[in-house]
Amino acid sequence: MSSPIRNTIRDLRGARSMTQQELADLIGMTRQTVNAIEGDKYSPSLEAAFRIADVFGVPLEVVFQYDRGKRK
Amino acid sequence: MSFVSNIFDMETLMSRFSFQEKMLWAQLLGLAAVVVFYAHYLVHAGPGHHYFHALLIAVIFFFASMQMVLRRGSGNVVEDERDESITAIGIWWSNMILWIGLVAILVMYWDNGGVHSVGALIGTIFHLLVLAGTVRIIRELVAYRMAA
Repeated sequence: MSSPIRNTIRDLRGARSMTQQELADLIGMTRQTVNAIEGDKYSPSLEAAFRIADVFGVPLEVVFQYDRGKRK
Repeated sequence: MSFVSNIFDMETLMSRFSFQEKMLWAQLLGLAAVVVFYAHYLVHAGPGHHYFHALLIAVIFFFASMQMVLRRGSGNVVEDERDESITAIGIWWSNMILWIGLVAILVMYWDNGGVHSVGALIGTIFHLLVLAGTVRIIRELVAYRMAA
């Protein structure tokens, strides 16, 4: 079952020509975890979510959105 | 073109696995090899004439050493919150197997009124540990593929 949390990390990365590995290095995670977050297969902790938003310099809600329709 | 493939993060088979996942696969293959060896000698050798226990301890020691050496060799191996949560899932399953097994052993020995031999008891506990370790590895690998 996919997570009810959606994200725009792939788009934000693409706009900055940033690889998953570069983002992973900046937030202290593995590239595989970034890939899992992008694919909505893993929901990061609140702290990690803030770190990701901080890297892109945007508010948290720009990176992550909550899909009420998919609520567990 | 390599720039484009980097942005789209085209994955090769090896890049799909993190260091921890690669180590889990190696542990599972090592364990499977030892169990195949054990099964082969159970069929072809008399009781007590195999080296399963010693071999398994050697394999565990080998993987612990290899993991330490590879960690040092590759410099900065990242272990993040997803790895920790997957490890916790594996430990939960391992602990459950151990608890169920220990309770089963206690019930069996109480019901039967004693231990047949210390060797049999140690053997049962040893197999329980192997089972718990195997279940932990498999559960963690499943969690990695499902992304946990």
